[in-house]
Amino acid sequence: MFNRVVPFAAIPLIVLASGAAANELNPDVSVTLDGYYKQNDTALSHREKGFGLGHTELSLSAPIDDMFSGRLTTVFEEHDGEGEILIEEAYLQTNGLPAGLGVRGGRFLSQVGYLNSRHMHEDDFVERPAVYRALLGSHYYDTGLRVNALLPTPFFWQVGAEAFEGDQLSEGDESIGVYTLNTRVGGDLSVSQSWQMGLSYLNNRNIGAGETEEEHEHGEEDDHDHSHGASYTGENLYIADAVWKWSPNGNAREQQITLSGEYLYADDLNEYATSDDYHEGWYVSGVYQFAPQWSAGVRYGEVDLRAPHGDHFHSQSLQETDVMLAWSRSHFSTLRLQYTHQSETGFSEADNTIVVQYVMSLGAHGAHGF
Amino acid sequence: MGSDMSYTRWFVITLLLGLVSLPARADFQVFACEPEWASLVREFLPDARITTATSYLQDPHYIEARPSLIAAMRRADIAVCTGASLEAGWLPTLLQRASNSAVQPGRPGLFYAAEHAQLHAPHDHVDRSMGDVHPEGNPHVHLSPDQLPAIADALAHRLGQLRPEASGDILARYIRWRGRWSQHRAEWRQKAEALQGHSIVIQHTSFTYLLNWLGMDSRFELEPKPGLPPSASHLSQLLAEPGLKDVDGILIASHQDPQPANWLASQIQKPVLVVPGTVTDSGETQTLAELISMIVDTLEETVQEASGGRL
Repeated sequence: MFNRVVPFAAIPLIVLASGAAANELNPDVSVTLDGYYKQNDTALSHREKGFGLGHTELSLSAPIDDMFSGRLTTVFEEHDGEGEILIEEAYLQTNGLPAGLGVRGGRFLSQVGYLNSRHMHEDDFVERPAVYRALLGSHYYDTGLRVNALLPTPFFWQVGAEAFEGDQLSEGDESIGVYTLNTRVGGDLSVSQSWQMGLSYLNNRNIGAGETEEEHEHGEEDDHDHSHGASYTGENLYIADAVWKWSPNGNAREQQITLSGEYLYADDLNEYATSDDYHEGWYVSGVYQFAPQWSAGVRYGEVDLRAPHGDHFHSQSLQETDVMLAWSRSHFSTLRLQYTHQSETGFSEADNTIVVQYVMSLGAHGAHGF
Repeated sequence: MGSDMSYTRWFVITLLLGLVSLPARADFQVFACEPEWASLVREFLPDARITTATSYLQDPHYIEARPSLIAAMRRADIAVCTGASLEAGWLPTLLQRASNSAVQPGRPGLFYAAEHAQLHAPHDHVDRSMGDVHPEGNPHVHLSPDQLPAIADALAHRLGQLRPEASGDILARYIRWRGRWSQHRAEWRQKAEALQGHSIVIQHTSFTYLLNWLGMDSRFELEPKPGLPPSASHLSQLLAEPGLKDVDGILIASHQDPQPANWLASQIQKPVLVVPGTVTDSGETQTLAELISMIVDTLEETVQEASGGRL
């Protein structure tokens, strides 16, 4: 662990010692501080009760030359008093290949679904929806290659494919464990309204290879084995997502409403699975930024799971409602108060909780997506 | 397996259909980050197909890299933007997602107006406790009567470089524009005599170049720090400023929330002037010259009324 930690911990020191964030030849350095207080433990959660640190990131990014740009994002996490450093992103991205093509290689967040490719600090709620936590480990990132094409249509239409090693989702022997296909369309309805919809498919070949996962003892979440992969997997995962945003005259600075929702479906869970054995879940979320510094939101989500247990499955389900209020002093600081209500079948830890969270962004602040 | 195959087949079919339906495109496509640059391009290249990313009712700092803008950037032959970090929150994402080699940084297809101007108030040291301060200087340079000709000159040459067959026409239109601009500038200079030394409260530094050029004092700002919305505590602090009783009014842009300005105006019994921060799609302010004339006239009327009231 020491050997893994020191080289990355030294990166900011080197950058700071060499003089300045303002030096244009140095990469942009950005740090995200995420801390919280949580009243009770909840089911399928990655945040334990009490005071805790969430997704603390250190990120370096810069154009490499006129062809490539690159980014390194390390995440510091702590479980049961033991710290660890994860590489969430370490990729190169091409700039402006012909024919609207874009290639990304290395480690990066998969672009399946709406939330998955976004950084966690951009989220409107403390944790991702329950279905994301169960099927994608909150956010699925891995080492591989992506090719995207933006089609020259009058509206926005992107198609893309990714191939990944796959070990971040579930352990297996396949050299290319996961591949994904994704398409996304979007546009404006008027000057005030814009939308985007996407369809994604993720093929997990490590499941098809006959590996069954015996890790989930009745799905109890007491196995803090630091596995950041998904707890529930299937050979095929389908995701449909939609987002709609409204702001008066398109002036998102003053007011904005964001409605988003996703549906996820996974089947072929293992070799014992029948056509009745599948994971399924969805959420809808509405966030109203009613003043430049204030936003309030509600999210409801459900997930129905089949936890593998030898040659049969146990049903589990979780319904979750979140209500949140957030205040951002500037674009770089957010304080959030959230209440989460869970009701369950087959989860022992489901509970209601209040969470207070801060998300602070230091240094360079990258541009956000839609 | 069956569903897997049919999904893949469906996917390939959609992809092929998309490629077949490529629209024929012969015309010159322009992506303008702000309306002022769209109007300038239109002066020099009237037949260009222009997509404008923002309007006078929007704060150009806070635009989302939404799908329609990515699609427009994908088609663009040139992107004309302000630069100086004004679009730092959204332009990099657009450029990356659009994967259009013509408009990548360093290529002639990406034009930053601020690179051709001398910006006010550049900072050697910037940190976030100062608010949203741009190290390069104040980016709202489009209302500067003296700087605009240099920007227009660079833009006309860049357009000529990208459209060599039209470069003669572009240059001719630019020279005519330059002549008209000089006439306008002389008029504004004349009107500025009456405005010299008068002071006005602003919300953000959007109008600073013009106000400085007119010789007006705009040191009172409704924003406690650049980019932060006006707060009650800052407004009451402002109210205690001794110089505030000498101002002639409060000048804000159409995209800014008028409530703080209205509150302060009611406290000090001064008028609130709401003018577009940039050119509009219709009406009397469709070009930068018309817009500046309108702002100067509004200021002149306000100052006259104020001194009339004092007499």
